[in-house]
Amino acid sequence: MNKKGMIIGVVVVSIIVGIIASVSSSPSETVNLDMGRTHGTISTAMGSPILGNPDAPITIVEFGDYQCHQCFNWFHNTKPEIEQQYIESGKVNLVFVDLAFLGKDSPKAAQASYCAEDQEMYWEYHDLLYTSQESKIDSGWANSERLKAFAFSLGLDMDLFDSCLDSGKYSKRVSFNTQQAKEHGVRGTPGFFIVSSEGQQQISGAQPFTVFKQILDPLL
Amino acid sequence: MTQTIKLVFSNLKYLVLSSTIFATMLIGLLIMSEYIFLEPYVVSHIPSGTEFGFALIVIISALSALVLPMNIFRINILKSSKQKMGGSLFGSIIGAAAGACSCGPIGFAVISTFGSVGATATAFLTNYEIPIRIIAIAILTITYFTTVKSLKVECKINS
Repeated sequence: MNKKGMIIGVVVVSIIVGIIASVSSSPSETVNLDMGRTHGTISTAMGSPILGNPDAPITIVEFGDYQCHQCFNWFHNTKPEIEQQYIESGKVNLVFVDLAFLGKDSPKAAQASYCAEDQEMYWEYHDLLYTSQESKIDSGWANSERLKAFAFSLGLDMDLFDSCLDSGKYSKRVSFNTQQAKEHGVRGTPGFFIVSSEGQQQISGAQPFTVFKQILDPLL
Repeated sequence: MTQTIKLVFSNLKYLVLSSTIFATMLIGLLIMSEYIFLEPYVVSHIPSGTEFGFALIVIISALSALVLPMNIFRINILKSSKQKMGGSLFGSIIGAAAGACSCGPIGFAVISTFGSVGATATAFLTNYEIPIRIIAIAILTITYFTTVKSLKVECKINS
């Protein structure tokens, strides 16, 4: 009788401990994704949060790699004008989707951006990576230690960030995004799709603002 | 030196060849390095911070257009050895390869096809793009001077 009671007691305690453990860990592990989110034919469910007005009539889907220097050029030379003239006015929004293929640190950097998203700092982290990019691929500027240092500089909860990055929580998310790029014929970074009710148009490379303007204006 | 250039390029065939090499290399390298885009519109731009890379492409194209026809002239007209032709071709090829940016379609195709070996190769070409182009310019310059020297001797030009 005593033995039976002890077994039941152990099972009950195990269940309670299990429930407590899962509840206490859930805030850091929750992935709040809209799995049905698409823009045109592209599934952006695993991509970045939407930058700008979610109801904007036009979406720019950018496929990029954090180690790509042409993405760096676009980020610094073209994106500011697009943000200023189209995104801030609510006419256009932007989604970043990873095509992390350039080096061994590329997928890790993309995963780190989603670890920052867990703490609602995706775009701050994204911008910091493109501001901090160094010219050499896999030179160590985007290794795990530096990615954690970037998170620290943004004031993120480092326990949550470290466990997220070290566990590879978002590795499948990044792989899914890279697969989306391949399925849509993206052959380099950065690659863009301008998606509107009239369809989607592909733009390859770090093209200047004038090209985006020529495509966006007739759609508005 | 100018006499040697005049000697080669007074022949229209070599002038046309030189112009073709210059235009082909310049446009090709500018497209590969994303200074020129063909779609959706033909557009060219030099992003800030990339001006030096642009200048190196122009220099490589110009030197290739100068050195390659001079060496073809040596081989065709003077039936000379093909040794210096190798130097000019090597300089042109490595100068062009430096532009195979790993971000672009060529890099993506190489990485997709050859996996980690391709990624390492394109990363090397991207990381050392500027030094590789400078080495290419040095090779082409040395080849130019040795070719001029050879032509002076072989054609008995008085400098």
